[in-house]
Amino acid sequence: MNKTAEITQAGLTRLIRQKWVGPLIIMLLVAGLMAMTTDRFLQPRNLANVSLQMAIVAIVAIGATFVILSAQIDLSSGSLVALTTVLTAGLVKEMGVPVPLAILLMLVMGAAAGAFNGFFASYGRIPPFIFTLGTLSIFRGFAFLYTGGTPIFSVSPTLNNVFYAQLLGIPAPFIYVLLLYSGAAFYLRYTEGGRQIYAVGGNQDAARLSGINVNWVRTKAFIIAGLAGAIGGVLMTARLDSGSPNYAQGMELMAIAAAVIGGASLFGGQGSVLGTLFGAMTIVIVQNGLNLHGVPAAWQQISLGAIIAAAVGVDMWRRELSGSARRLFGGGSPAGPGAPPPDRDDTRQRVDTSTDRVGAQE
Amino acid sequence: MGVHGQHVPEPPLWQLRDVSKAFPGVQALDAVSLDLHLGEVHALVGENGSGKSTLVKCLAGVHQPDTGTLSHRGKAVRVKDPLAARSYGVATFHQEFSLVPSLTVMENICLGRLPGRGPIVSWAQARRHAQDSLAALEVQVDPDRTVSSLSVAEQQFVEIAKALSQEMSLLILDEPTAALGPYEVERLHEVIRRIAQQGRAILYISHRLDEVMEVADRVSVLKDGRLVESRPSEELSVAEVVRLMVGSDFEEHYPHRPAAGDEPRLEVRGLSSEGGVADVSFTVRRGEVLGLGGIAGAGRTEIARALFGIDQVTAGEVRIDGERVELMSPARAIDAGVALVPEDRKAHGLFFNFAGPENMTIADLAKLLTGPVLRLSAERRSARELARKLRIVGRVMDGSVQFLSGGNQQKVVLARWLFTHVRVLILDEPTHGIDVQAKVEVYHLINELSEAGLAILLISSDFPVLLAMSDRVAVVRDGRIVHIAGRGELTEHGLVEMAAGGVVVA
Repeated sequence: MNKTAEITQAGLTRLIRQKWVGPLIIMLLVAGLMAMTTDRFLQPRNLANVSLQMAIVAIVAIGATFVILSAQIDLSSGSLVALTTVLTAGLVKEMGVPVPLAILLMLVMGAAAGAFNGFFASYGRIPPFIFTLGTLSIFRGFAFLYTGGTPIFSVSPTLNNVFYAQLLGIPAPFIYVLLLYSGAAFYLRYTEGGRQIYAVGGNQDAARLSGINVNWVRTKAFIIAGLAGAIGGVLMTARLDSGSPNYAQGMELMAIAAAVIGGASLFGGQGSVLGTLFGAMTIVIVQNGLNLHGVPAAWQQISLGAIIAAAVGVDMWRRELSGSARRLFGGGSPAGPGAPPPDRDDTRQRVDTSTDRVGAQE
Repeated sequence: MGVHGQHVPEPPLWQLRDVSKAFPGVQALDAVSLDLHLGEVHALVGENGSGKSTLVKCLAGVHQPDTGTLSHRGKAVRVKDPLAARSYGVATFHQEFSLVPSLTVMENICLGRLPGRGPIVSWAQARRHAQDSLAALEVQVDPDRTVSSLSVAEQQFVEIAKALSQEMSLLILDEPTAALGPYEVERLHEVIRRIAQQGRAILYISHRLDEVMEVADRVSVLKDGRLVESRPSEELSVAEVVRLMVGSDFEEHYPHRPAAGDEPRLEVRGLSSEGGVADVSFTVRRGEVLGLGGIAGAGRTEIARALFGIDQVTAGEVRIDGERVELMSPARAIDAGVALVPEDRKAHGLFFNFAGPENMTIADLAKLLTGPVLRLSAERRSARELARKLRIVGRVMDGSVQFLSGGNQQKVVLARWLFTHVRVLILDEPTHGIDVQAKVEVYHLINELSEAGLAILLISSDFPVLLAMSDRVAVVRDGRIVHIAGRGELTEHGLVEMAAGGVVVA
């Protein structure tokens, strides 16, 4: 009896240490709150709607996660999604390009756009925050340029099917999310490239001195983000059967928020795609809940901003909290006779590194 | 213990009586009694974890003693917070400075108390004030220069000047020479002696015992939270102090076993780099330890940077095991078998977001690949093996390496290179900031690695260590090697002299 309790406890401790457990709990709490306050939330139609809404944000958020893990930031993903929608619509509807080829071309375009961001942000030494602030405007500008500002409607039933098809009763977007998230999680955990992203995000100088080509790793993170943005854009075109330069406004912030709520640290090097998935769910559930409660769009935008600010705040405070928690409970070093007293300049170092890193971010 | 010998008519500036302080799992201070007198440089030595920092933090108001009393000028006081400590005239200096790098010397010295009338600052008065403070130290620093343009030593002087201008009576210096070369240390010590003579108390903490003995009037030794000795420094030798600190003999501290073979492993011919290395040639044989000696900024680190592919090589050639190698990037250098343990392991060595295993394998992940997949179980196996071999203690297999002690962190960085096929190992200040016990372990590791046939380049500002641990010592000055001395050929004094350019340091 006692023994099983011990084993359960050990298992529980290990589970709680998993970084994605916190985000999962937050997501469940938010969902629970919504379910309690409005009956409509749990209706199958609404849940299906929420899931489909979530798919695109979740996929774009994979890209945001890779970029954030490498200690960078991508503000251009929403604009890239918009550019992809008009280009997809234009290729398929106006130029008659077959859907599979159009999708392939979009993937190439997305990778190129990501490489463009990555090249200037790494080799060009322009801080990613600033450079992607530029491409946020540039990509959407191209979208307007291409359509002259008017949306392209009724693109193609075949493309529409890419989003609404089902496999064995499972909606296609679910399958895309599952495949892409599995692939991303595998890449991060089991490949050299994934490990290098964490290394570069954790300590760029140490990574360089360990023989890692830091600029290339940082560029690669952006290329992956570009691919994710292009896939998100294609799916959005398919879902709405149209392309418009006004689509996906602010999606970059939702993607970043999903990653951060999912436990990714804006200092880089910490986070997981599974956490990001729960983060994306949380955001979409909040939006859906506010919709169901008839909250005006303006307030929805304000609440999204508040969530992002809170998530980033938690990311900043988390480091200090975990530090003081460790000092409090003496974790980390084996406390016993001869163990160093817990006053070895810990605070000073931690504060110093964090200010350094913030400086490096800007 | 305490001071019984001399009788001072006026009470000591600070008097600690039976001060104890416990933390969960450890008695950091155990009934320590200590007197700090005006006009006296009082050195506090002990290994990491012996209670030095805790003692300092009690004086600085960061910690409150559990039992015991602190008296200031004969009156028992409670230093309840750092602000209270300042009001009692206690100024604490750490290795990191509290100066604002973008402001001028004058602005820093007067920061928070700019002279003037109302909201209008009188810059003339501020400059005079800054000049007076610096003149009291007899150091030449232009008050109009920005602090970021000053050398580390000069920044230290400015910091001290700032404290003096605030009428501080006790200056606590925690490892003030860690980043300084021998010449700068000498200048700092002059300043310290001067301000002591001007009637202030100095509490000086350092791992560099020879320096401590040189500057201090009195030395107090802490071990496991207890004061084991407090005596005038002329009554103690470095060897005695070390014995008191660790309970072992001095000789054990430099346990070098020569293991140099005959075949040259690393051959450097006419190497120049954009980092300032100028026409450097030397050879390191298998199993040989070549020490690089010089003052800070002489170009030792730059030689390491050139060999590791960080700084662009502009001329010359490098051969490893007779084969010519192009060291254009750290990746190429690692491929060629060169490894660098950087001076600043926190900034340039460790990944705090990783546990031990990920830190150890990052330089050669290819070793763990099956197709494109990393074998994580093999990674953990290798890491456990390395941790055992290097005697790394602490939670190394999981949990951030951030929470390991300095010595164990250093061993994690070493383990990273042992995981690669290293042939030439460059150690830049490998024992910087780690405790005596860990230092000895690092020396033993150097022995083991040289016995395994590695060619080792050892950079250390700790000259006695450098002389003891190296088979030969190359003296570096202005990016050039000016002399290569065989074992026993150079004394510490000779090395200091040669490093400083033949000028005898006063």
